[in-house]
Amino acid sequence: MASILNTCGVVNNQVARVLIVGLFVALFSAVSSYRLYAQENSECMDCHTDPSKVDVKVRVDHVTGEVEIVSMLVDEEAFHASAHGGEDFYCIDCHADLEESEGEHYPNLQPVDCITFCHDDPAEEFLESSHVALMKENDVQPPTCKYCHSGYKSKRDTPRANDLSHREDTIDKCGGCHKEYFDSYRNNLHGQVTALGYVGTDIATCVDCHGQHTILNSTDPESTLGSENVIETCSVCHPGANDTFVKHVAHPKYKNISYYKEIFGAVKDARSDREKIIGIVKSPQTLITVLFVMYVGILVMTFSQFGMHSVFTWLATILDERKGKESKHGK
Amino acid sequence: MASDSHFLRFSLFHRFSHFLVIISFFGLVLTGMPLVFKDYGWAHWLYGVMGGYPTAGIIHRICALITFFAAFLHFAYLSVQTLIKKDRGIFWGPDSLLIQPKDLLNILGDVLWFFRLGSRPNYDRWIYWEKMEYLSLMWGTFVMATTGFVLWFPVQATSFVPANLANYIDLPSLALVGHRYEALLAAGFIFTIHFFHTHLLPENMPVDEAMFTGRISEEHMAHERGVYYERLKESGELEALKVRPSGCAGSLVSKIMGLPFLVVGLLIVGFMLASLICSLFTLIC
Repeated sequence: MASILNTCGVVNNQVARVLIVGLFVALFSAVSSYRLYAQENSECMDCHTDPSKVDVKVRVDHVTGEVEIVSMLVDEEAFHASAHGGEDFYCIDCHADLEESEGEHYPNLQPVDCITFCHDDPAEEFLESSHVALMKENDVQPPTCKYCHSGYKSKRDTPRANDLSHREDTIDKCGGCHKEYFDSYRNNLHGQVTALGYVGTDIATCVDCHGQHTILNSTDPESTLGSENVIETCSVCHPGANDTFVKHVAHPKYKNISYYKEIFGAVKDARSDREKIIGIVKSPQTLITVLFVMYVGILVMTFSQFGMHSVFTWLATILDERKGKESKHGK
Repeated sequence: MASDSHFLRFSLFHRFSHFLVIISFFGLVLTGMPLVFKDYGWAHWLYGVMGGYPTAGIIHRICALITFFAAFLHFAYLSVQTLIKKDRGIFWGPDSLLIQPKDLLNILGDVLWFFRLGSRPNYDRWIYWEKMEYLSLMWGTFVMATTGFVLWFPVQATSFVPANLANYIDLPSLALVGHRYEALLAAGFIFTIHFFHTHLLPENMPVDEAMFTGRISEEHMAHERGVYYERLKESGELEALKVRPSGCAGSLVSKIMGLPFLVVGLLIVGFMLASLICSLFTLIC
């Protein structure tokens, strides 16, 4: 546009200034990217917001092979609220194979490459983490970007980091594989509050403690919960966290049946493998479990005794009344 | 005997203390219990009604402070009674709320009565289960207060545990277990045993007005606490306790005040029991 105006030769001080600026902008964008020829998002939206022009499509994930039916309609409001919904994002930034096409395009686009041009850092951190290494070792397909960063209504609407539904979704996604840890998390205060649907950044979800992309085993000193970083990690929410505080058992196992099976197995092997049972007992889990079992005992005792007392009182009163004595006390 | 005579059973101070405990206890249960039953719809709804996070938490802490105030009033009362009024009767004797030898005999007598081996014993001023309720309230408040403070100030609380013990003692987790199960004990106890042993007895249904009006009728007193009645009658103290009957207004006010709490408490304990059964069911299957 700017270059067309430039050739019109309108000589006016103010217009000239605008033109010079325009020329620079045009030059700059021509050199820095191919945006000069880019379609505006509105051109895409002409069709992709009109249900009579676009429909659903069967999509096969190029990594996992998962088949799903996705709508080609774009909910503009949801898209603009998403991480990629800002003014300076263009549809073709991600769908780069449509860069020079006009009007109708071929149906099967290339899979979007999140990593190469934009998100190489987190991707590298993630792919080199022990989390992914372990998955590869066990022949498990590591999650793709979109597995975790998928929008609420459509995968396309990549949620922002602190988006509440994204934070809630992450707990379920992590918990989908880490079932034991999910259960024990739900048994702790953090997990209780998030279970009620309050997932703001002031309550810890999985990623707040274990990190987002560089997920290392918590026994690794370099992990977010390792000896080098744990005080810093806890201090984000608990200022002044000390050496004792950071030993907190965020995953109490006293309601996990597998924990009791583990203890039972270790007791059975106690003669041959003393280390195993000592390892289980020498943990803060032990005292918590003892307290829990004690309380279950107290609860059962109290309610059975007082419950029986109530039943007997009522029965005895009724029997007294039948005898015509009323429920008279004493002689 | 003139059956329309009424006597003062609870002074205004004790009724006020009981009122404080009711208010704070319900606030604490309504804002705390949803966290325990987080997997159930009623808990989500109730937590939302109570303001959600963090409002419900703030209400919980305010109610905790009211409980502390009631406990403070109680211990101030005990101090005044023992130190200034030199009343040793609150520790020993028929007016004491601590378990006395006579109570053990009453328990034995009641067990015999259950199995039709004797008639029902006569009780003094406090019946043994009322003493147990009082003592469990004392113990429960102590446990809930200490664990509650650890959960309120986890960082400060852990600084009391030396680092080399931290591998065995995780104070916040222990406090959470204690706080949660003591709460289940307290709420379950109050909403079933306490309700059934006082308010829902056939003769008191639906609300034992004595705790709200402070008054008990002569007939009721002689029937429920025969030894106490005879004892006061013989010593002549009974006349001093004689008061005007509370009348219709007092009865209405205590029903208006007591009934909603009774209904809410029974509803909550119903939800709790249903959820517990569901949880056990999923655990087994």
